[in-house]
Amino acid sequence: MSTIMENIDKIFNMSLIYATFRSATPIIFAALCAAITQQANIINIGTEGIMLVGAFTAVSVSYFTGSWILGVIAAMLAGAMIAMIMAVGHIRYNSEICAIGMGINMLAIAITKFLLKAVFDTNGGFSSPEIDPIPRVHLVFLNNVPIIKDLLNDWSITEWFAIVLIVILQFFFYKTVWGLRLRAVGQFPEAAKTAGIKVNAVKYQAMLISGLIGGLAGAHLSLGYSTQFIENMTNNRGFMGVAAMYFGGANPVLTAVGCLLFGFSDSVGARLQAYGIPSQFVLMMPYLVTVTVLSISMIAKLSANTKRQSALNVN
Amino acid sequence: MSQSMKGLRKIVITMLVALGIGALFIMAIGENPLDAYIALFKGAFNGKLRLGTTLAGFTPLLLTSAAFAVAAQAGAFNVGVEGEVFLGGITAAYIGINWTFLPKPLLYLACFLGAMVIAAAWAFIPAALKAFYGVSEVCTTILMNTVAVYITSYLVSGPMSAGTANPQTLPVNVTLFQFMKPSSANLGILIAIGVVLLVIFMLHKTNWGYKIRTVGTNPAHADYVGISSRKVFIGSMMLSGMLGGIAGCIEVLGVHGYFLNNFATGLGSNGMLAALIVKSNMIFTPFMAFFLAVLKAGAMGMQQTTGVPKALVDTITAVFIIIATMETAFQFNSRRKKKKEEQA
Repeated sequence: MSTIMENIDKIFNMSLIYATFRSATPIIFAALCAAITQQANIINIGTEGIMLVGAFTAVSVSYFTGSWILGVIAAMLAGAMIAMIMAVGHIRYNSEICAIGMGINMLAIAITKFLLKAVFDTNGGFSSPEIDPIPRVHLVFLNNVPIIKDLLNDWSITEWFAIVLIVILQFFFYKTVWGLRLRAVGQFPEAAKTAGIKVNAVKYQAMLISGLIGGLAGAHLSLGYSTQFIENMTNNRGFMGVAAMYFGGANPVLTAVGCLLFGFSDSVGARLQAYGIPSQFVLMMPYLVTVTVLSISMIAKLSANTKRQSALNVN
Repeated sequence: MSQSMKGLRKIVITMLVALGIGALFIMAIGENPLDAYIALFKGAFNGKLRLGTTLAGFTPLLLTSAAFAVAAQAGAFNVGVEGEVFLGGITAAYIGINWTFLPKPLLYLACFLGAMVIAAAWAFIPAALKAFYGVSEVCTTILMNTVAVYITSYLVSGPMSAGTANPQTLPVNVTLFQFMKPSSANLGILIAIGVVLLVIFMLHKTNWGYKIRTVGTNPAHADYVGISSRKVFIGSMMLSGMLGGIAGCIEVLGVHGYFLNNFATGLGSNGMLAALIVKSNMIFTPFMAFFLAVLKAGAMGMQQTTGVPKALVDTITAVFIIIATMETAFQFNSRRKKKKEEQA
């Protein structure tokens, strides 16, 4: 422990800010993927699977075409396709959403494993110099600004886009007619129906957009965050995203704050590993933090709720 | 047609559709689906070693699928069985190695009880969080699985390590008899069958079982008639955890004889799949667990003889689940009837 205290400035320094954001970005995309369906009162347990399929599609399309743009687009379409399977099952055929979501996750793990063997003839993972990664943005005008230079330069395009997407979704949810309808469908479908909103159409739209974002999450993971595909590489990030979405109550900005918290614990853990903390504890940290934060936030929400209700009951 | 017959018919149709989709995949990579399925079947049953391997694979699946189904009876979606298997396994290994002061019969008992207690305690956390604070048990159990795996991984490569290159513990002092050597099929299968029968009896013939089923169908009604839905919910999750713990204990005492790092990967999730396909019907679940065990065991043989990757089996299973969850699919006549009724 003493070595940790001596090296505290090496653990908590400026580069931790980018490290936090970097490990949070895939979870932010996943959380936004879950948030949009949650607004329509569908809990998207399949986020993990959508992401994984997106990650595989992005790598293979980028490898065969040599274009990261095509890879990202294909990943988004693949994500949308998977999401539509879920949507049809849930909305048309009355599937229990958790059950079909877990089915989708299993399908994603199995089918990417199968295709990895069938297309690339390898097990475990695939990487190649011919995979075209998502480029990083180098802002030339920042070259002479001391601290900002290290902080903001060389982010990958999708990392910048994550911030844009948070703002866009925040605007769409709370400032547009479509967002109002979406939330109406989620909170009181009967009332929405009476108001002339096509409830199922809105749900399908939410699932479709969720699939596109989930596919993008996967593409970022396999082309931006790293440049390879590994079996089950999402590693429960989709579920962390769902947990963050609960934490933020499906509000994009608050949800992203939750993701940053997980990213922070991930990056601090990675640095602590150098000072003799067993790797298993380091690896377990983001999961432990996620469960704890999720629980505390739900408990706080519940007690706030009961307080409000009891205030109503006074008179 | 009676309700259970309808359920059975739907399972059969779903199974055929899933195998059909699997055949399309096999044809897409230029292999003969019929050859592949025959190789799959042979891989699971042909010869003592293969049959034994199938049975050894069936044992934990039987318990984990029942574990998921029991929780589902009370309305819980317990994805955490896998973590409970791991923790049950490490507890059984710890007791089996260190508590040598106990006479052998008591040591067996201590291993099983220890595994059950720790696993049930682990299941209590997400159960209580859900029952009292509404925290989604799907999220917490999945994330806690990873935590459980890392805890056991730390113990087996650190304090409990036998010092081998591949992290594992010292051998335990009590083992379950393996009756089909060289396969690892062991007496644990009888224990598993007994336990599952006991759980089925408990669910359908006892007071407690009635409470669980009431809470699962309608928690508000349960609370109204004086059954504490929270208590029953937590109880069923803990029972689910115990079954997972027993599975872990059998794997350690029966199959390996020591705790092996990552020994139970996929046991929990495969059990969950078996239960999901039959909508956690306690009677059908064991049969589905057997079917999945056959698929899993045969997959290796299929990969070796035909060149179809064994991941195909997982793909088929996943398709199977996705179609099986669609409640209103394949209800041909009833939907037509409904339409007629609506028109009338």
